[in-house]
Amino acid sequence: MSSEKAVPKKFSIKDYKADSPRWCSGCGDFSVLVGMRKHMMDAQLDPANVVHVSGIGCSGRLPHYFNTYGIHGVHGRAIPIALGVVLARPDLNVFIESGDGDALSIGGNHLIHGINKNFNCVFVLLDNQIYGLTKSQSSPTTQTGFRTPSQPEGTFMDPINPIQVALGLGGSFVASTADWLSGHFLETMNAAAAHPGFSFVHVAQRCPKYNPEAWDYKSSSWYSFLNHENGVAPDQKFGPDATIVDHDPSDRSKAFEYAQRVPRCFGVFYKDDTTTCYAKVLQDKKNKGEQPTDLFAKVRL
Amino acid sequence: MEKKDIRLELLMDAGNGAQSAASMLINEFAKEGKYVFIEPMIPAEISPPKRTPHSMSGAIVRTSNFEISCIGSSSDLMLVEHEILIDRRLNDKEYTKDTIILLDAGDERRNKDGYQAVYNRMDKLGLTYVAFNLPDVCKSIMLQLKGRGKNMVYLGMLTAIFNSNYDKMYHFVKTSYKKLSPEKQDLNCELYKEGYKFAQSEIDVRYSIESKRDDSKKVFMDGNMAISFGAIDSGIKLFAGYPITPASSIMHELAKIFPSYGGIVHQAEDEISAMGTVVGSYFSGVPAMTATSGPGLSLKQEIIGLAMASEIPAIIVNVQRGGPSTGLPTKTEQSDLQACLYGCHGDNTKVILSVADVEDCFYAPHVARYLGEKLRVPVIILSDYATSVSFKVIGEPTQNKLENIDDINDDILERFFLTRFKEEIPMVKNNQSIPGEQGKERRVTGLSTDGDGRVDFSSDAAIDAHNIRNQKMHILKESLQKPEIFGQEEADLLIVGWGSARGVIKETIDKCKENKLSVSGLHFKIVNPLPLGLKELLSKFKRVMTVEVAYGDRYKSAPFARELRNETLVDVESGVCEPSGRPLKPDVIMTKIREVLS
Repeated sequence: MSSEKAVPKKFSIKDYKADSPRWCSGCGDFSVLVGMRKHMMDAQLDPANVVHVSGIGCSGRLPHYFNTYGIHGVHGRAIPIALGVVLARPDLNVFIESGDGDALSIGGNHLIHGINKNFNCVFVLLDNQIYGLTKSQSSPTTQTGFRTPSQPEGTFMDPINPIQVALGLGGSFVASTADWLSGHFLETMNAAAAHPGFSFVHVAQRCPKYNPEAWDYKSSSWYSFLNHENGVAPDQKFGPDATIVDHDPSDRSKAFEYAQRVPRCFGVFYKDDTTTCYAKVLQDKKNKGEQPTDLFAKVRL
Repeated sequence: MEKKDIRLELLMDAGNGAQSAASMLINEFAKEGKYVFIEPMIPAEISPPKRTPHSMSGAIVRTSNFEISCIGSSSDLMLVEHEILIDRRLNDKEYTKDTIILLDAGDERRNKDGYQAVYNRMDKLGLTYVAFNLPDVCKSIMLQLKGRGKNMVYLGMLTAIFNSNYDKMYHFVKTSYKKLSPEKQDLNCELYKEGYKFAQSEIDVRYSIESKRDDSKKVFMDGNMAISFGAIDSGIKLFAGYPITPASSIMHELAKIFPSYGGIVHQAEDEISAMGTVVGSYFSGVPAMTATSGPGLSLKQEIIGLAMASEIPAIIVNVQRGGPSTGLPTKTEQSDLQACLYGCHGDNTKVILSVADVEDCFYAPHVARYLGEKLRVPVIILSDYATSVSFKVIGEPTQNKLENIDDINDDILERFFLTRFKEEIPMVKNNQSIPGEQGKERRVTGLSTDGDGRVDFSSDAAIDAHNIRNQKMHILKESLQKPEIFGQEEADLLIVGWGSARGVIKETIDKCKENKLSVSGLHFKIVNPLPLGLKELLSKFKRVMTVEVAYGDRYKSAPFARELRNETLVDVESGVCEPSGRPLKPDVIMTKIREVLS
């Protein structure tokens, strides 16, 4: 999907713009929207050949704001719908936008099998650690003790760690970035899109309305960047105080270690271009099939 | 006994090969030019303990010298492996005074009392039965086969009883078990031969059906196979499914052959996912289908609703089984009609086709594609357990190799009493482009939108969208022809049904004609929407009653009766509506007719 730099760019950022977003002011989704448009432009994707698929929630609205094809589906089920697009049309560039509730709660089963099937798409998990559109209920990633209308005495459970989930399921590309780290976000998207298979991108996303404490985007001393030539470079402009850790994304056991490390890490945890890709297996099976002429041969008397 | 029409059943413990023996028998019947119809009886469990009522497995075979439209009411001959199975089967009351039961008494030494109780029961019912003991030679061969092979003995017996061609069948047996070692193949042939010899000398029951050979091409398929072949021929290119009885065999069949026809079979992680993948594929311009049964239908409803709202075609085959809940996985019912009609929350605008028989199963995917893509709505094809597993010999369907839906043959539309659309179909969203079309990029959503496809929560947008979605359904309503009528257009009584009820209605009306009863029949294939002019049609009959394999009683109308009442305000009664898990029976309907007319 990378473009040749010498050729004048055919598509500009405005070619990817559609309706005006309706999120709250200060929402991290705006940055994700801008970052993803930039990525499509960097890659010079023809908007006609792009399909954004989403579930329900604030993240689910993203496809409406790209001037590409898009399906804003039902809650938690963007992955199966996207798989339908990929199986039907391997020529298209497919992005999935989901949230912590959409992907890890109602859509958990599909996440398991999306990662396992490793079909070619970029899966973006916008993690604001709260249900936004349904107004502030606890999500699978909400901080323990955080008071919400559904758990007013404080969220009971320890949060799920999405990176560990993705690694544990055998994700072939697992990365984490943040909406406010625009350079890092863009590089992560470019790396994800270049990966053949299901690219799992966790995005720390601000929700100033319901969970402003979830991510402290004003300081950067509480996180580290994973650094490697096969990964994504640290974003020292937006994260000047973050520590830098060298990590080879082909090292799966180290990836698990960094996934649960405090302070937390942003960067590419794991990458393996050789993992079997389900959609490709089915496509190859179809393309290899011979064309028999007699449908009824087996059942004719 | 020279007969025109015989029904026999072979009942054995599950796993003992009753169905494969019955398939071989009817294959030969069919080659002899007889019409055949076979309904397997399959337990819901895989290998239930033998010699229990739960392990009853087998096949009902109806054969005749005229085209058969249903499995019928009762059996002429039952060949049964042991006393527990006949005891269980008698509960279904599919016998008459003329039924002959051949009961293998080989297990009598194990359960003398059980056999005696069954003999007493059959005596009390006035049934004719023959308890037989297989010769020792069979037993010793079966020992060499580790107890297997009894089905071949029975096949030999049935060959003799039905005066079928011994040599041809012997050859068939010899070539049917290719996976077995040559020694075992020979032993199976021996068993077949011994069974034949035994019945020739010891069993004094003979049937024959005069059959005419005709040289037209014939195929032998069950409903699910026909749907699979139909899906391929109709140009569907993706199948997504999740295992569920009794729909799974559609996925199995397609998994074997679909890639050779440029198709993909995707086994999804759940029913919902399979539905989502169908929608994703169709949105991308590739026709797609899923197949499920009741519980799966319930799960799929939310995404079916998304397809309605976002105007994405989708084809859903629902092979109905007994409900509610997990219900009766290997029994038949027609109880999902209302779940299909109203199962999605909010206003429902989807097309529901039903299949009357195996031939309809082949053509239903073509019609589903035509209606789904023209109207851009989800289309449900309603089959049922009985149709899905019933093998039937039919004339070879014409292959269409359909790609562009406008090329669909008028005969296929006619088959479903449908006229080709002449007018432009309005759409909620003016732009219906598919990915890849430049400058026409669009987003779809389950949210309310305006004509440009933009999210719009205004009252005007909501009302406009409702009107257009329903307008599409009304255009279809206006394109529906009068449904199929059996008998006169005016009579004392009209019996009405849908889907697999067709054969039974047809056969019942034939009987009514013979008995000079003033009764007509009406059958529907497309059940949503219903055609115009129904009130006038129904009003010409003094009484109207439905026959359906779904529940109804004096306070609760059966589902189809309810729909017809709602549509016409005619006092449609719930006539035969006892969902026992067995297909409708002409005799039961005749009894009801006599009761109503007296």
